[in-house]
Amino acid sequence: MKLLVFIPAYNEELNIVKTVQNLQKHCPEYDYVVINDGSTDGTEQVLKENGFNYISLPFNLGLDGVFQTGNLYAYTHGYDLCVPFDGDGQHNAEYLPLLVKKIEEGYDIAIGSRFLTKKKHRSLRMAGSSLISFCFRLVTRVRFTDPTSGMRMVTRKIMKHIAYDQNSGAEPDSWAYFVLNGAKLAEIQVEMNEREQGTSYFTLPRSIFFMLRMCISILFIQFFRKGGDF
Amino acid sequence: MSVTLRVILIIASLLALFYVLRKIRQSKMNIVDSIFWIVLVAVFILLAVFPQIAYFFANLAGIQTPINFILLFIIAMLFIKVFLMTIRISQQDEKIKKLAQRIAIDEYEERKDKTDDEEQ
Repeated sequence: MKLLVFIPAYNEELNIVKTVQNLQKHCPEYDYVVINDGSTDGTEQVLKENGFNYISLPFNLGLDGVFQTGNLYAYTHGYDLCVPFDGDGQHNAEYLPLLVKKIEEGYDIAIGSRFLTKKKHRSLRMAGSSLISFCFRLVTRVRFTDPTSGMRMVTRKIMKHIAYDQNSGAEPDSWAYFVLNGAKLAEIQVEMNEREQGTSYFTLPRSIFFMLRMCISILFIQFFRKGGDF
Repeated sequence: MSVTLRVILIIASLLALFYVLRKIRQSKMNIVDSIFWIVLVAVFILLAVFPQIAYFFANLAGIQTPINFILLFIIAMLFIKVFLMTIRISQQDEKIKKLAQRIAIDEYEERKDKTDDEEQ
């Protein structure tokens, strides 16, 4: 199966070369493309100088927009699978073949979970993560231990929805929608690295609003959406 | 608060909710944008079912009747929404400008490359 690995990059001039080289070293058999999310630093210059494959967005679209861009590119270029790979080195390339294997077992969505066999540490962020997991399980009866994991591989039919459906994106409520409509979701245990540079997108007020939005969306709105073909 | 008013509030809220959900179903509204309306509808229903809440806040703010508190609350919500929408429209204007510039520059460079190739 043909896999596209897309690498979201926002102001990652210091990390991006290492990330791409790491990916090429461990998984030379997969195609990759960097998606420069309207970086304001020298990210685009670095990509050009190193001769990497890259798509440059004219302005910042955020996590969701970049995820959709990657899926749109993969879908329109005939890939069977696609997966994001973090631009600042949080993801390890060695797990990619394991995700592909999971898909080959007959799943539509394969997620790299940090908490499948390991316990979540106690923090506000993890409490939020558990709350989303709980809502997800309540509605779909499927276990989803790491709903905010960035490592998610999808097949073409899911890709199509993410690329063209305005309410399907990188967020946990989309995965609830897919699973409710018959998509099969599986997780594998992975390790993720700490961020080396840069700051996280999620601040406290943003996180609280995000949690509220996810709960309302998963517990209520999903039941009123039009079904898809999964 | 009269019973009629409470019933009207509930019916209007449910109609609004129905309309919002229909727009999501038709893929004409983003879920993110619908949250504001769904929460607002929930608050209105809460106020209609438990008018004590309106009495409490009317007392607190020194407003004579609870209905005045509800009107004040609706006006405040509308102000917030209009303000947030103004910010969003500004940002969208900016993004459209950037898109137009980007397309124009890319198109020019493509044309330039083509004529360069033809000259060689």
